[in-house]
Amino acid sequence: MKKFVLFIVLGVMVISFTACTKAPTNPVIRLSTTTSVNDSGLMSYLQPVFEKDTGYTLEITSAGTGAAIEKGRTGDADVLLVHAKASEEEFIGEGYGEERVPFMFNFFVVVGPESDPAGVKNAATAADAFKAIVDAGQAFVSRGDDSGTNKAELKIWKALEIDPVGQEWYISAGDTMGKTLTMADELQAYTFSDKATYLAHDNDLALLLEETDDMKNTYAMIAITSARWEDTNYEGALAFIKWMTSNKASKMIAEFGVDKYGEQLFFNLDQ
Amino acid sequence: MITLKNILLKYAQRVILDIPELSLIEGRRYCLIGENGSGKTTLLRITAGTLKPDTGTIQGLPTEQVGYMPQAPYAFSFSVKKNVEIALDDDPNCEALALAALSKVGMISFAQSRGNKLSGGEAQRMALARLIAKPRKLLLLDEPTSSTDIRGMDLIESTLLDYNQACGCTLIFSTHSPAQALRLAEEVVFLDQGRIIERGPATQVLIDPQSEIARKFLRHWQM
Amino acid sequence: METIRQIFDLLFGVNPELRQIIWVTLRMSFFSTLISSVIGIPLGVLIGSNQFKGKRLLNRILSTLMGLPPVVAGLIVFLFLSRSGPLGTLKLLYSVTAMVIAQVVLITPIMTGLTANLISIKAPLIRETAAGIALTPLKRMLFTIYEVRVQLISTILVGFGRAIAEVGAVQMVGGNVQFKTRVMTTAIMMQTNMGHFEFAIALGIVLLLIAFLINSLVNRIQDRQIT
Repeated sequence: MKKFVLFIVLGVMVISFTACTKAPTNPVIRLSTTTSVNDSGLMSYLQPVFEKDTGYTLEITSAGTGAAIEKGRTGDADVLLVHAKASEEEFIGEGYGEERVPFMFNFFVVVGPESDPAGVKNAATAADAFKAIVDAGQAFVSRGDDSGTNKAELKIWKALEIDPVGQEWYISAGDTMGKTLTMADELQAYTFSDKATYLAHDNDLALLLEETDDMKNTYAMIAITSARWEDTNYEGALAFIKWMTSNKASKMIAEFGVDKYGEQLFFNLDQ
Repeated sequence: MITLKNILLKYAQRVILDIPELSLIEGRRYCLIGENGSGKTTLLRITAGTLKPDTGTIQGLPTEQVGYMPQAPYAFSFSVKKNVEIALDDDPNCEALALAALSKVGMISFAQSRGNKLSGGEAQRMALARLIAKPRKLLLLDEPTSSTDIRGMDLIESTLLDYNQACGCTLIFSTHSPAQALRLAEEVVFLDQGRIIERGPATQVLIDPQSEIARKFLRHWQM
Repeated sequence: METIRQIFDLLFGVNPELRQIIWVTLRMSFFSTLISSVIGIPLGVLIGSNQFKGKRLLNRILSTLMGLPPVVAGLIVFLFLSRSGPLGTLKLLYSVTAMVIAQVVLITPIMTGLTANLISIKAPLIRETAAGIALTPLKRMLFTIYEVRVQLISTILVGFGRAIAEVGAVQMVGGNVQFKTRVMTTAIMMQTNMGHFEFAIALGIVLLLIAFLINSLVNRIQDRQIT
C-alpha cells in the first residue's frame, strides 16, 4: 500500500513538474531571413529578449531572398521573415505555409553621389528618379540577385517600360545590399537600397530620395507547415510570430535605431 | 708563367686546398694526380674561376681563351653540333669549325644527335670538341676520360697532344690513372689532402716517387 | 530529372550569358597566366641559377607569398584601387584589369618559386660548363630555360589552373558585375546564394572539365619527361 502511494505521489510530482515549467518540446526555432534584415541589426537586437521571454533558442540564417525562401521548401527552416510579397504568395500557393503575416514596413531609398548630377533630389517618386538617372547618362548599381530589394527595384523599371539589363550604365552586382552599396560608393554611382542597411553602412553616398509611395517595403512572416517535413517546429514558429506581433516587440521595433540614427528604421503595420 | 700564390680554401675548419706556391710554364702539359678528395677538382675550379679561394692570387692567367671542362660536362638538349657552336662566340665560321672539331674527337657522326642522348664518354668527347674548336692559351680538364671507353680515351688523348703541339696551349688535367699521366703529361703534381706532396717530371715522379704517400698511391700500379 | 534536363540545356544550348561568362573567365585567366609567367619565369631562373647574399631570406619571402591567401591578395589590391586608395584615380576597380592585377599578385610568386625549384636542379652543372666555355650570362639563362622547357609548360598550366579556379580575390576586385566581370567561379557562388542550382551546377561541370583537361595535360607532359 505504502509503495503504491509513493509511486502515485512521485508520478504526480513528475507530471506537474513538467507541466509547470512549460518547456517547449522542441526548443530550437530555425529562422530564415534575408541579408537586408540581418545586416540592419534588427534581429540581433530582438533575439536575446525573445529567447529570454519564451525559453526558445533562435537559430538565424540569412541569405538572398530567393535562397532564404528556398530553405523553407527544403525543410531547413521553421519560419521565414522576408519582404517579397509575390514570392511569399507563391510559396503559400505551393502549400509550404498556411498564411503570411505582414507585420512591419519601411522604405527603400535612392542614394547616390553628393553632387547628384541627375538631380534625383527633385524627384517626386522613385520612377521619376530612375528616369532622371537614365536621362543624365549616370551609372546605376543594382543588386541583381533576385532579392526582395531587387524585385522592388525591377518593378519600378518595369513601370517606366525601361529594360536596364545589359545596358552600359547598369551595373548588376549579384550581391548583398552591403556589397552593392560599397560598389556604388566606389564608383560614385546611384543605387536603390533599404534605409536601414544604408544607414548602418560606412559610405560617402548621400540620401537623395525617400518615403515615396513606390518605395514602400513590407515585411511578413510565414510559419512553415509541418506537413512536408517531419521535424519542422511549427509550434515554435507560431510562438515566434506571436511574440513578434506582441505589444512588447512592436515597441522595441519602433525604438530600434532611434538612438543611433535619430529616426525609426522599421515601422509597425498597425501604426 | 702562371703563378698561384698562397691559395687557401677551408670549409668548416677543414683544409680543402692549401697551395703556398705553384708555378706553371706556358705551353707545358701538367697532370694533377691524387686520391679522391685530394683537391684536384678544387684546384682546377679555382684556376678556372668558378670557385673563389679564401685567400690567394693567380698571376699570369690569360684573360680570355681559357677553356675548362668540368667532370660530367653538361650537354644541352639541342644538336651536338650546336652544343659545340655555342663555345665559338658568334664566329661567322662557327659551323665549319664545330664540325672540324667534332671530326677530330671522332664525333662527326653525332653532329645532328641531341646532346641529352649522349653517353658519358660521348659527352666528354663533345665537351673537348667545344674547347679545341678554336685556339686557346690554357685548357683545364677535370678527369676528361673518366666515362670513356678505350677508343674514346685514345681519341681524347691524341687530340689533346695534337692541340697542345699545334697552338702551344698550356694543359692542366687531372686523372686517377698514372698510366694516362705518363702518356700525356710532361710534369706531374701530386696532391694529398689539399697540399702538394710532390712535383716534377712525369717520368720521375711516377716511376720513382720520393714521398711516402706518393709511393703508397702508386704501389698498386705495376709498370 | 528535370534538373538534369535543364543542366544539359544550359551546357549545350545557346544560353548567351553562360558563354559570355566562360569567355570572360578564359580571357582573364589567359592574361593573368601570361603576365605572371613573363615576370615569374625569368625571375625564377635568376633565383634558381645563382647563389647570392640573402638568397635564403628571399626564398623564405617567396614561400610566404606562394601561400598568400587569395582574399588577402584581393583585399590588398582592392585597397590600392579603391577611390580612397593610392591608385584610385585610375578607376580600375570592378574591371577585368583589376582581376588580372590581383591574380598576377597571387600567381607570380607561385611561378617564380616553381621555376626556381625546377632550375636549381640543373643549374649548378650548367653553370660550371658555361663558365668553362665563356658563355654569356644571357645565353646561359636562355639555354637553361630551353632545357626545362617541357616542365615550364606544365608549370604554366598549373598557373592557368590557379587563375581559372580562383574566387576570393576576383570577387573582391571584380565585383562579379553581370556581363562585365562575372566569371565562372563568382557566378557559381552567386547562383548558389540565390538558390539557382541548375545554373551553378552547369558552370561547375564546365569548370571541372577544364580543370580535368589541364590536369591530364600536365600529367601527360610529366610522364613524357620520365620516359
